[in-house]
Amino acid sequence: MAARSPRGSFSAASDIASDFEESLKDLQRNDRFAIENLTNIARESTEHAQAISRVLENHIRTTAPSRKLPALYVLDSIVKNVGTPYTVYLGRGLFTTFMESYGMINDPLTRRAMDNLLKTWKEPVPGSMDHRPVFSLDVVRPIENALIQWKTAILQKQRQVQPQAAYKSTPTPPQFNGQYAVPVVPAQQQAFYGHGSQQPVPQQHPLQSIYQAPTPIEQQYAPPTPVQHPHVDVPVLQADISSLVSRLHAQFAASPYDPDVQNKLKTVLQLQTMVNNGSVVGPSLQAVRSSVTAFAAGLPPQLQAPTPQWQPPVQLSQPYQPPQNTAPYMQPTPVQSQPLAFLAPGALNGLQALLANGQKPSTPQMRTAVPALQDVSHAQLNSVQNNVAAAPTSNTTDLLAALAKSGVLAGMSGTTPQSYVPVAASAPPPQANSTVSLLQSLQSILPPPGVPSGLSAPPKSAKPRIPFSAAALKVFRPELVRSLYDDQPNQCSTCGRRFLATQDGRAKKSRHLDWHFRTNQRMADPNTGRGQHRNWFVDEMEWIRLTAFDPSTTTADAATAATAAKKERGPQDSYVRAPAGVTRNTCSICQEEMRSSYAEELQDWVFGNAALWNGRIAHATCGAEIRKSTGQPAMVAAALALAGGEGQRPGSGTPDSMLGKRKAEAALAGSGARLKMG
Amino acid sequence: MALPGLSLPGLGLQPASTPAQGNSFAPPIEQVTRTENLPARSEWRFETSFGSPYNLRLLGGHAELFGVELATNQPYDLSGVQGAIFTWQGCQLEITGEAESEYAAEETEYATEWLNLHGMLETLRSERPSDGPRMLVVGSDNTGKSSLIRSVAAWGVKAGRTPTVVNLDPRQGLLAPPSSLSAVTLGSQMEVETGFGIAPTSGPTSMPVKTPLIYHYPYASPTDRPDVYKALATRLALSTTSKLEEDVTAKQSGLMVDTPGSLGLTDGKGNISEILHHLISEFSINVIVSLGPERLTNSLSKRYSTAKGHEEAIPVLRIAKPGGVAERGEPHMKQLRSRQIKQYFFGSANESLNPHSHSIPFDNVVIYGAKPLASATETSSYGAAEEEEDDYDPYTDNPTTTASGSGTSNAFFEKVTPSVAMTASLIAIKFCPANSDESTIRDSAVMGFLYVADVDEGRKKVRFLAPHPQGWGNRALVWGGWPEAVVDLVT
Repeated sequence: MAARSPRGSFSAASDIASDFEESLKDLQRNDRFAIENLTNIARESTEHAQAISRVLENHIRTTAPSRKLPALYVLDSIVKNVGTPYTVYLGRGLFTTFMESYGMINDPLTRRAMDNLLKTWKEPVPGSMDHRPVFSLDVVRPIENALIQWKTAILQKQRQVQPQAAYKSTPTPPQFNGQYAVPVVPAQQQAFYGHGSQQPVPQQHPLQSIYQAPTPIEQQYAPPTPVQHPHVDVPVLQADISSLVSRLHAQFAASPYDPDVQNKLKTVLQLQTMVNNGSVVGPSLQAVRSSVTAFAAGLPPQLQAPTPQWQPPVQLSQPYQPPQNTAPYMQPTPVQSQPLAFLAPGALNGLQALLANGQKPSTPQMRTAVPALQDVSHAQLNSVQNNVAAAPTSNTTDLLAALAKSGVLAGMSGTTPQSYVPVAASAPPPQANSTVSLLQSLQSILPPPGVPSGLSAPPKSAKPRIPFSAAALKVFRPELVRSLYDDQPNQCSTCGRRFLATQDGRAKKSRHLDWHFRTNQRMADPNTGRGQHRNWFVDEMEWIRLTAFDPSTTTADAATAATAAKKERGPQDSYVRAPAGVTRNTCSICQEEMRSSYAEELQDWVFGNAALWNGRIAHATCGAEIRKSTGQPAMVAAALALAGGEGQRPGSGTPDSMLGKRKAEAALAGSGARLKMG
Repeated sequence: MALPGLSLPGLGLQPASTPAQGNSFAPPIEQVTRTENLPARSEWRFETSFGSPYNLRLLGGHAELFGVELATNQPYDLSGVQGAIFTWQGCQLEITGEAESEYAAEETEYATEWLNLHGMLETLRSERPSDGPRMLVVGSDNTGKSSLIRSVAAWGVKAGRTPTVVNLDPRQGLLAPPSSLSAVTLGSQMEVETGFGIAPTSGPTSMPVKTPLIYHYPYASPTDRPDVYKALATRLALSTTSKLEEDVTAKQSGLMVDTPGSLGLTDGKGNISEILHHLISEFSINVIVSLGPERLTNSLSKRYSTAKGHEEAIPVLRIAKPGGVAERGEPHMKQLRSRQIKQYFFGSANESLNPHSHSIPFDNVVIYGAKPLASATETSSYGAAEEEEDDYDPYTDNPTTTASGSGTSNAFFEKVTPSVAMTASLIAIKFCPANSDESTIRDSAVMGFLYVADVDEGRKKVRFLAPHPQGWGNRALVWGGWPEAVVDLVT
């Protein structure tokens, strides 16, 4: 339940913790040395055990699936070799940490390793005098139970939906795709988490904590048509039906000759017309609703199912989110036929009804209403009431959230509302008269009212058009802030620069980090530390030709390859790598001597201000002037010369550049002489 | 003639004690470190003096200084800065050091306006990719013009644009010492501490460098020599426009022109400065942002926001002055200028630079003295070279005349022999040869600045501090009365 940033809230420990974090990030495989090293750090800083545990949990949660196992080994090594207080801190979140990783890991071998790991936690540390197990049984057992249930569920699932869509054929259970974006967890997995896993809460994220978007549930299962008033059931129903229709359409497209699908589609379309016409009223509406729900539950999940409102990963992804290719949303089945987790269907309704009439029910009342609350303390129930009272609408989700918040369900369940969604959503098609629960189950798959719709809109398309007017100045537009921050989640920790979460953005960032590394290295080098000086400013022509580009994100290769097609660099910036052993050369145009120099950036000897001219090395500026005088008149140069009327030859005053070594005097004096050919 | 590496006192010191850091003789008094929690859309305003260190660290959340985002857990030295750390989402700051004043403020409507201005510019950029916004910001002194441009430019860069910023205020340099008018196309991220970043140096820099184009206007106000100012503006506009024509993305990203406060004043009848009209037409401005009084905005809208004949209408937008803008007194401005000059030669704490000393006989150097307008007519009657050096005493203020167009005399410059009066002042090296005619010298771009370290009239030698070890050849040198002498540059 690391709810706060390890950096922000524990500034005393933050140094050690962030050191620890850095080393953790470097851990890519099962490296005994590194793991021992990390264990030693943990051992030596037990006073910061809490911060370190938090960092470790966060790391396990956020790192790429392939790195989870090594990180878990670190956890294992720490608890076995150091023991308390780490066992205490890590034990608290162990369920989450472990189950989440298990869910994200796709590889049967790794899973088996994790199973084995779990087994050792039930036993005493090998060779230790202490006979107590590594973690106490009440920590390990829930994990084991959850694993067993989950595995059974997976098996059932495979049996049920064998002939389904392509992604189903993978032998491995559905997974998180290595992304930390919990909100898009498919329903099946949620079902298993519903037993009591703690979902990773995005808000816990250090960077996100300040302004994170809505709770994940709001982002899930958004139907194609946004519904304004979920308690008005007709629009809800309509939305539901139309989502059903689109899914059936997709299915129909996949297998157009399946009479079953054809029938279903026809029926549902009819139903839709009826409902839209308003010809369905009263009790029959309820019947329609329940049949729709049942129908939807029976439908296989579809990739083409109503997904338009899914958030693109950009919005959810973290600055250090591991790369991932597969789409995070695979199975948007709103309704699950998964067996109920821990509360009987309708059980909550009683409680809800109690709470809904405004007064605070007594504890016994609540206990009778919900058997699961039987052995819950009075204080906790009180806080349930308070939380519920605070929530304006009384739907199941809120109630569950309230329960979660007050810790009633903490032992067996998570801390965030989304853990409970599947519970509500997976209720079997209820009896016709239990409208409430029906509504609730539908509500839980719809965004609750009042969710700012802007937040779930794709960030890119949300680029606002702002007219040029005084009135438009005053309105605060969060989307503008978002375009500068959240849309570019990938931040450089050195200079604060942001990058897009796209492939390109990641590539740029890694180049950018390399650039930082290189320059830092050069700045730290005692040989380059001294004797730096300001360069001369550039002249007009050079400045005009110079295309502003960011050297920190431009590859060296691109720069090398660019010599030919380069307008963006002046000719004096081009160079030719010196052939081995050649240190001197005569410019084939002006016949002046050229000497090679060592270029720091290229780590090689080069002729500065050089280009190949008819196969021989010549001054790049000489070549450029010849080219210029034989056509290709630079309009700009002419314009400037006219306007200024100065005696200066355009392009000749290039006294100094990083690679050019020609003296300013020579450039100035020799600007005419260089045109003499041979 | 160049004597690179001639020993200069103070050069071998640690970066921490370079002049850029101010005098470090005072041992740091006990530093109080405190943390501040800022709610969303509030800011931390501070005024710090040049001498005492003031460090800021972002512990959590997000924050920016004039549009440039702070990295988490990086220390930023903000001594000698009047500014505000703004947060859109809320943040936690750790502050070390003494400030003259500091407080958290939540009246930050200005930031919304600025951000919306950025949004409007982005809209223009995407709607008219072939013809980006060319914005002129006008207003009197201390209204936040430069901060606005800095923020909007930084956001533009963050949005992936490469805006071009033009500074037309000779009192503060942009990537260059004062007395320069500069233009720079921002292709890479801007910097928190230095604002626009670093001009090119020979060595590695912690941030990508920005390459500016510099012209030299050695007067404090455009009205000191309106003719020269307008000529330089024309020249700068031509170069800038040419650059934008060459570079499609830069053109789409647009232009942002910062003007000195004196152009934001209206005369008694509400007429706008004629120089301002000149700038608007030369830079083909298509967006005017006024930070000045309502009166200025009204005059501008009357003149520009309705189409007149062949001219297209230019929208005029009035933006309120931010609450945090403090009056920057002349002492502060003077220190700012002196710091800019120091940084030009010595670099900043992160990138320390070594200037080079060049000792040159009087005979080998051609220096043109830039004449103030009022004395231009006066001295021409005297005509004696010896007398004039007193007229250009940099310690006295230049007489300011608002009369425009009276400078019919062509004498912008005249050759002067080095004199003690030049000591500690700045001299611009122009790209043009020393024997060019007057208008060429006037319009030529600046290759670099020299600092007159010492004039030995007895041995007829002048010692320059140059940023670069190389000589500058036979180029024209221009000396003006602006900026004022910085005596303690070489101590």
